[in-house]
Amino acid sequence: MDDRVARLADVIVGYSTSVGEGDVVLIESSPVGAPLVRAVYRRVLEAGGHPEPRLAVDGFAEALLAHGSEEQLAWLNPARREDFERADIRIVLEAETNTRALSGVDPARIQTVGRTREPLRELTFRRAAAGELRWTITAFPTNAGAQEADMSLAGYEDFVYGAGRLDADDPVAEWQRFGAELRTVAEWLGTKRELRVVADGTDLTLGTEGRTWIPSEGKENFPDGEIFTGPVETSLEGEIHFSFPSTFHGRIVEDVRLRFRQGEVVEATAARGGQFLQSMIAMDDGARRAGEFAFGMNDAITEFTKNTLFDEKIGGTVHLALGRSYPETGGVNESALHWDLVCDLRGGSEVYADGELVYRDGHFLPDIR
Amino acid sequence: MTDPRVDRLAGLVVGYSLELGEGDVLRIDGLDVAAPLALAVYRSALAAGARPYANLTLDGLLELLLEHGSEEQLEFISSTQWKEIETIDALVTIWSEANTRSLSRVEPTRHSRYIAAHRKLANTRWERISKGEMAWCGTLHPTPAHAQDADMSLEEYEDFVFAACHVDEEGAADHWRKVSRSLSARARSLETVRELRVVGPDTDLRLGVGGRTWLAADGRFNLPDGEVFTSPVETETEGDIRFGFPGIFQGREVDDVRLRFEGGQVVAAEAARGEDYLRSLLDMDGGSRVVGELAFGLNYEIDRFTRNILFDEKIGGTIHTALGAGFPQTGGTNSSGLHWDLICDLREEGEVYADGELIWKAGAFLAEPALEAV
Repeated sequence: MDDRVARLADVIVGYSTSVGEGDVVLIESSPVGAPLVRAVYRRVLEAGGHPEPRLAVDGFAEALLAHGSEEQLAWLNPARREDFERADIRIVLEAETNTRALSGVDPARIQTVGRTREPLRELTFRRAAAGELRWTITAFPTNAGAQEADMSLAGYEDFVYGAGRLDADDPVAEWQRFGAELRTVAEWLGTKRELRVVADGTDLTLGTEGRTWIPSEGKENFPDGEIFTGPVETSLEGEIHFSFPSTFHGRIVEDVRLRFRQGEVVEATAARGGQFLQSMIAMDDGARRAGEFAFGMNDAITEFTKNTLFDEKIGGTVHLALGRSYPETGGVNESALHWDLVCDLRGGSEVYADGELVYRDGHFLPDIR
Repeated sequence: MTDPRVDRLAGLVVGYSLELGEGDVLRIDGLDVAAPLALAVYRSALAAGARPYANLTLDGLLELLLEHGSEEQLEFISSTQWKEIETIDALVTIWSEANTRSLSRVEPTRHSRYIAAHRKLANTRWERISKGEMAWCGTLHPTPAHAQDADMSLEEYEDFVFAACHVDEEGAADHWRKVSRSLSARARSLETVRELRVVGPDTDLRLGVGGRTWLAADGRFNLPDGEVFTSPVETETEGDIRFGFPGIFQGREVDDVRLRFEGGQVVAAEAARGEDYLRSLLDMDGGSRVVGELAFGLNYEIDRFTRNILFDEKIGGTIHTALGAGFPQTGGTNSSGLHWDLICDLREEGEVYADGELIWKAGAFLAEPALEAV
């Protein structure tokens, strides 16, 4: 077995979630993630926790979406809800066999299932904010992920494990060092009231006063490397162009352009997947508002791979999520949607904080770091 | 493409065995290697208006727990597991393995500790099943591991499994309804018997069955199925029996088991291979030397031993006795942590006498029982 799998398990269990004696640990994955599931399961046992695997197997979600009645789509398994109520830790090991399995499904039905599962998401965020639950999402490299990224499996494995610094002698020390750097920038951003992002097709201002900037240092996502907040819900003005395509629920949407007025999307276009985009922002009242704004800071991620876990951390990008905000940022937007859209700032771009130029062409200016 | 027999088996489980209806919550248990059948059951349950969900795990995880878990971890049962078993309307267990010997090197005491801790959960499940509060069916999706145990190719094994379940053609539910009527009639006729005497190679065993209920295993709780069984009177087993097929318990085989009973208890035991293990099982607890089950295997689609009790105990023309726990619903009172089915092949030269009258010869009952009005 690739020894980087065992190292990833070590980091996830020992650093990201700090599993301890008696912790109930949900391990959510699929059978193609088996090598990582087994490695994590073993580490959890060694840490004294209670590993509880929850495997999603190909075909079940598709069958429900294709054949389920409205009543069946709206049924939330009480056992899953209880999992989310009592778990101390959720470890999500993404492992896909087909990233497009849901492409042919009616988006309205996907939304119904999204609404059904909303209490689970709500529980995760609420309990995490209250310090009752720790969670992390990571990715196990599969052929489907590699294909989505236009890479060979071996090349994709190098990409994934490289982004997690698992080749380093002491990956945890690397993450601690990187985390300290992110915290410095986050604290500094916390002193600012307004940001303005200017790039090709983009001129967006957003208010962040009173909101908390959170450094993502490999705890809830792995790999990681971003600084995010929940912008003031009514503050967004202007337009933003997302140069990277976005895959969401197996759909691809390209060249998204959004115009905001008083925090609401008033115009949304896409070169591809426009209808899907419209149906997503019409999902509920909160789906038209930004729940998250963030800087991607992981310079080991340079390529776009159509997986948000990696894309939103590409060093030199910003991303904005439509929908639900993270309460720990102070954001109050509620929605069943949380859709990250990534904007590449590595070409010509500028970011101003309270009118002062602080970021250019993908990097914060040296004097603030 | 899906094997149509998988879909038929799923339809049989959902429609006939579980009789799932609108809103019923169904949990589907198994390993990921059971996924094709689990998915077919899921679809079929959706079509029936039920609320199915999969509870699939990976092979190798139990092994890790048994190898590395602390006592506390081995014994841990979550509140959700309790709640599920107390509330779900139906359960399908797909016993398919990726490797039937994955636990053979596990330390037996650790495995026993795990089983003992989980027995309460199993008991609650069985209580709800007996009371009719929960439907349950145990079945199998053919995998290479099981084919290997059966000395077959996967394709041959698939043919074997699906024929045994009678899903190699349409109309499986009708077939099992017919089987059910015939087995029930057989069970009723056996309830008039006080003593059975089994005679075969190195076998002359008398078992008291007076006052006990015989049950028809007709495809509700197992697929495939096809036996009639009871728990014999605990103190009335006398004589000798030799089991022509290996006895398998928790993946370990004991060959050519010979037992002598007096007053219902095993008083002598021999085996050609695995005799130490045989003795350790007999010494497990106070009930492990007593016969908890006596049954006739009557599924004649199952014509060979495949090292899987789901099939072996139903081989048409065999009888089996289980050492250990009896079935309360048949009137059985023996309690034990053991329930070990041992199969005696009566197809060549076996005879069974009911209160002195010959009722079975060369692997079949001599007369058809009177069918009850349907």
